Amino acid sequence: MSVFLLQRLGQALVAIFGVMTLVFFIQRLTGDPTYLLVPETATQADIDALRRSLGLDQPLVVQYVNYLWDMLRLDFGTSYVQNVAVTEIIMSRLPYTLQLTGGALLVAFVIGLPVGLAMAIWRRYRATNLLMGVVLGAQSMPTFWSGILMIMVFGVWLRWLPPSGSGSFSHLIMPSIALGLLSMATYARIARSSILDEMSKDYIRSARARGVTTGRLVGKHLIRNSLIPVISISALEISQLLAGAVIVETVFAWPGLGQLTVQSVQARDFVVVQGIVLLGAFVTISVNLVADILYSVVDPRIRKGGRA
Amino acid sequence: MKATKRAARFALPIALSLGVAISALTPAYAKDVLTVDLVNEPSSLDPHQQWNPDSYYIYRNIFDNMVTRNDAGDIEPQIATEWKRISDTETVFTIRDDVTFHDGTPLTAEDVVYTVERITDTDFASPQLGQFNKIIKAEVTGDNEVTLTTDGAYPALLAQLVKLSIVPKHIASTMTSAEFNEAPVGSGPYVFSSWDRGVSVTVTKNDNYWGDKGPFESVVFRAVPDAATRVADLQAGAADLVVTLNTDLAQQVENGGQGKVLTVNTERVAYFAMNSALAPLDQPDLRRAIGHAIDREAIVEGLLGGYPQIVDQMLSPAHFGWAEGIEGFDYDPEKARELIAGLETAPEAEIELATSPVFDQRVVQAIQQMLTDVGLKVSIETNDMATWLKDQQTSPEQAPMLTFSRWSCACQDPDGIMYPLLHSSSNWSRVKDGEIDALLDAARSELDEAKRAELYARINRMALSDADILPLYQAAIIYGAAENLDWQPTSNESLFINRMSWTE
Repeated sequence: MSVFLLQRLGQALVAIFGVMTLVFFIQRLTGDPTYLLVPETATQADIDALRRSLGLDQPLVVQYVNYLWDMLRLDFGTSYVQNVAVTEIIMSRLPYTLQLTGGALLVAFVIGLPVGLAMAIWRRYRATNLLMGVVLGAQSMPTFWSGILMIMVFGVWLRWLPPSGSGSFSHLIMPSIALGLLSMATYARIARSSILDEMSKDYIRSARARGVTTGRLVGKHLIRNSLIPVISISALEISQLLAGAVIVETVFAWPGLGQLTVQSVQARDFVVVQGIVLLGAFVTISVNLVADILYSVVDPRIRKGGRA
Repeated sequence: MKATKRAARFALPIALSLGVAISALTPAYAKDVLTVDLVNEPSSLDPHQQWNPDSYYIYRNIFDNMVTRNDAGDIEPQIATEWKRISDTETVFTIRDDVTFHDGTPLTAEDVVYTVERITDTDFASPQLGQFNKIIKAEVTGDNEVTLTTDGAYPALLAQLVKLSIVPKHIASTMTSAEFNEAPVGSGPYVFSSWDRGVSVTVTKNDNYWGDKGPFESVVFRAVPDAATRVADLQAGAADLVVTLNTDLAQQVENGGQGKVLTVNTERVAYFAMNSALAPLDQPDLRRAIGHAIDREAIVEGLLGGYPQIVDQMLSPAHFGWAEGIEGFDYDPEKARELIAGLETAPEAEIELATSPVFDQRVVQAIQQMLTDVGLKVSIETNDMATWLKDQQTSPEQAPMLTFSRWSCACQDPDGIMYPLLHSSSNWSRVKDGEIDALLDAARSELDEAKRAELYARINRMALSDADILPLYQAAIIYGAAENLDWQPTSNESLFINRMSWTE
């Protein structure tokens, strides 16, 4: 198991180095950020002076070596636009993104799983197909539209919830739902097919023959055994949610990383983008590792296989 | 029984969410806190280290400027109480003696000199350097007296000093700009209180302010990137003032019954530039035809809600030197077609119109359509803003053929807009006209205001006769505000809180 883990860790490091290099060069292909930092009236001399002070006048190779050296020392640099350490900027945004992703996963899970279960168990009834239609409809709504719709209804007309911003639990509700709707249908579909899969297996039939009640069958055997695909899809969904958060965060003025990414890319704040992409790579790789470990917790077969 | 049970089942979550909502939305009884929705958070609160509205909307309340403009746009004393030009290049300013910074230290002539030296220091690399680098010397020349020396006669000096925020020497000189940005200390009507990164900046009232004190105990500036969300915040009462609305959203505010629209014509001039260095646009008649083909009234009335004002010179009424009686190209597609038919070399190939999503694409597409209507082939070339800026700032031979843009020098002086766009030495200019160059140079150092205004009027007439560049309209800026907020927005796009008031 530990050899396997070490191997995976080595692969992860190589992947992160690759991401670091790619993000460095791709960004520099897009051009020069200094034009965005000065007023239109700036002279060429002003632009040159600013470029010098940002270190952008250096040859690309020198910039790259400096960058790698800084990364090795875990110095992630200072934002061009805000003149603040990147780690400080990202750490101030990260908790918001975690809250939102958590909230959205919860929404997706709490709605998607029962829907999938209902569709598997009562698959012969037409009404359950309708349910999937509703869930798919909710997923297909673009968030910039459904988000604004929710803001208008619950924030402006009914005034139940604050229309935007952050700071309390009530602020988190609408963005979580808007983002959660995106993953809900995925969960429902995966849960449905996985449960159907399990239902056709022999142990279920023999359990029924033994006279196990439906409730017990579902609660004790079915759900647990069907969870593995759901967990692995969660790992994928988290990165999906982080991407979807870009729009949701912008609509709800939620100060997470998604919003920061868009702003930094637009402003060509290379240093901040590098930090975010690196963090994203780190999270994606770790989440996949964690999912691997979770499989073995849920399914003893994998655990045993790992030891051998 | 069953019905009540069902009702109870529904009532509970509703009551719960209502409780949450009420605790989140209850306003204070008196108007203590003004909430302002900006687009983004400021990039920096060091007034010398950035250049964007979200920053100066905030810090202009924390810092005083050398001089200011009143609501009518006239330059008025602020930190400098009076000024006298003692030679073509030297101006003596008298500094207020009753101003203290927020830490209690008096503001002195030394601070003013330090401020000028800081912003003009090339190593400091202020993005605003180009606005102040004509000042080559600042020195204390008496009690509360500062003399500024400029590189040659510089009539726009006062217009630039409107934006010079005075920083305390004893603080700013002992820390880096990054440190000063974390804890900015000024002398303005509001004191920096906190910055919740990505969320909001809070400032509190300066009770010892020397001038008009602020009407609110504190002001929260929040970052709300989506304009529709800003309007929702306003309509829900979660924000009292929101910035940067488009005309559709302004309509929504006006019809919504909650909040009102405040608008002002800024000093931004929208223009259409044509690359006269390259064929086929090197033919003045083709450029004149384009002038006649663009229906500015349709753009302003049909697309922009009627807010902007059409202008026929590369200036706006908010600028010094605005001249009455200059007539531009009237909309006359027939004449445009005639002019094109009479061209020596008819334009065969597609002409590219460079743009970026920052600009109102409805206007860009409308112009494309109008030019197509008179028989030209125009394609739209969209790039991100940084690329667009880079493409624009080059030699005319490499510059885009057609450009729709808006220009502000944030100084309300013609030199700040006409020199960069018309002088052949400027990276932005597509014009190569020795006579215009000479007139621009003369106007740049002409200290007699009447003569100077006359020079700019002449340049504008010359530029029109050859259709060097087409002035379109003076752009409007639209704010949404709570009904109770009284405020007159100004052309220089500042939010001076101490000029606002609140009536219940």
